[in-house]
Amino acid sequence: MSSYQKLDMQQRMLLKFEVEEFLFMEADLLDSRRYDEWLDCLADDIHYWMPIRRTTTAREVEREFTKPGGMAFFDDDKNVLALRIKRLAIGRAWAEDPPSRTRRLITNIRILGYDGEEVSVASNFKLYRTRLNSEEDNWIGRREDKLRRADGDFKLSQRHIYLEQTVILSQNMSSLF
Amino acid sequence: MSAASNHNWFDTESGILDRRIFSDEEIYQEELQKIFGRAWNFMCHESQVPEEGDFFMNWIGEDEVIIVRDRESTINVLLNSCPHRGNTVCRAELGNTKSFVCSYHGWNYDLNGRLIGMPSEEHFYRNPMDKNDWGLTPAAKVESYKGFVFATLDPDAPPLVDYLGWVGRLGIDFMAAQGELEFLDGVHKNRVQCNWKLAVDNLYDWYHVKVSHGSALKIGMIGEESMAPMDQMVLLGEFGHGIGGPGITEEMFRESVARLRGLEGEQIWYDRNVRQRMKPEVTEMLGPVGKRSFGHPNIFPNLWVALTRQVCLRIPRGPCETELWWFNFQPKHVPVEQRQNAIFVQNHLFGPAGILEQDDGENWSHSTRGAKGSFARTRPLNFTMGKGQDQVLHDESGQSRIETVVNEHGQRWTYQSWQEWMNAASWPELMQNHSLPPTGKI
Repeated sequence: MSSYQKLDMQQRMLLKFEVEEFLFMEADLLDSRRYDEWLDCLADDIHYWMPIRRTTTAREVEREFTKPGGMAFFDDDKNVLALRIKRLAIGRAWAEDPPSRTRRLITNIRILGYDGEEVSVASNFKLYRTRLNSEEDNWIGRREDKLRRADGDFKLSQRHIYLEQTVILSQNMSSLF
Repeated sequence: MSAASNHNWFDTESGILDRRIFSDEEIYQEELQKIFGRAWNFMCHESQVPEEGDFFMNWIGEDEVIIVRDRESTINVLLNSCPHRGNTVCRAELGNTKSFVCSYHGWNYDLNGRLIGMPSEEHFYRNPMDKNDWGLTPAAKVESYKGFVFATLDPDAPPLVDYLGWVGRLGIDFMAAQGELEFLDGVHKNRVQCNWKLAVDNLYDWYHVKVSHGSALKIGMIGEESMAPMDQMVLLGEFGHGIGGPGITEEMFRESVARLRGLEGEQIWYDRNVRQRMKPEVTEMLGPVGKRSFGHPNIFPNLWVALTRQVCLRIPRGPCETELWWFNFQPKHVPVEQRQNAIFVQNHLFGPAGILEQDDGENWSHSTRGAKGSFARTRPLNFTMGKGQDQVLHDESGQSRIETVVNEHGQRWTYQSWQEWMNAASWPELMQNHSLPPTGKI
């Protein structure tokens, strides 16, 4: 990812602008329930993953997250994400019928690396969900994404989601992060 | 010891239930003492704490306990509360330690819970105090069954193996029959605004699958044959254990093996599960009826032993709140691909993001809400499905069962047993007064 360091300030600003445009656009697709269009933003080999987080002592903090390949809340490829979306469209997905209302706030966007083809991006998010009359969920966390250049646009090829909660204080996570 | 009562929240004659048991604070407080305070509660699997000093935190009702392996390799269950001011002595949910030190004044406990040090003891405790009297309170009994560790706070509880009986043991037997089990790091935990009994009730409920999980069926995540069958086998065990769900016929065994050879897909775990049962040593362990039971076991009160080599603990967090904890296991020695498939199933069916379980939480929380309204709570709930229509079939192995269609026998047995626990003043009284698993017409 060393080529990012070689970019001058103007090139970095342009890249960051492109990345932000993409992240804000795909967040808006999810907020707008345009799931099929969101799916089109994903690379075919995307890894979408949310490990389980635990409370550990400071001394053992390296055990805080479960490891890739093990137990996770999400460990999806594109097919599984497509299944999740198909489920919503098919009816009888009661967790989302009536549909939740969601709003995603994407902040603290930082480019971690760029090799000319793929950008590594860290961002913070708040995903607010409210359902029915008064149900509320607040999910806050960090994402580590990879955006790959394709046909003058980006495709999301990695989304690793690190939530702040250990016990998920929600009856489900039927939203996408 | 608590007082004997004569509650009739569940009318066994009519199958009508008083829905206050899902929301009432007083009933809930009584449950913490009479159900969770007495039962053998699942703590963890031995492989979660393999080394000296390894610990895992769990709950018995609303009492937090430390499960820790000591220097003699014994697993202890200790109340996470310092006898000085009641503060917790452990705040991590897992880890490894040499001792537990209270963060308030520094009282220090070894892995057996013995008080081994107090800061400036000689200067400030000028009055003599016997440290042997002031350790962390241990559970009354800790026992394992095939690697699954249980604890009870009641010294009068019968031995674990007797408590479980053959119905309570069956789910664990089947998991253990698949080879030496290994716990997979990471417990899925989430919180649902529901009474814990509604989550338990649901595991016997094969009526809801086509509706609640209609979307998962339609996208092919689960198959009709395995998840929404008409044919059902129900096993009822002493003290409230039960298994409800499909029974497998020899024909289904054969079909399943054929599909395993031909077709790939998400049902693969089901096919493997069926094939496992055909091994002679497994058949012998499970028994002629147990072998055919493909239902969901509940170890009373709150441990669901799922067919996917997972167990789900339903931990009460108040009358209207429950935490669901999914523990995941695999046999140590299986081919990589098989292991990956199994992990895929474990990560994707259940848990808060599980494609199947997502839709359950809202139903349970709205059922709980339906027990809150001052008028709604006066209205009875109907648990009458199939009542009086079936026969308990005796088998010479001693494994009695009901073979029928979708039904509510498991739920009725759960509430009947639960009520007997709630009415008994003590374990000796419960031993004397509890119902034995039914025979004849049911």
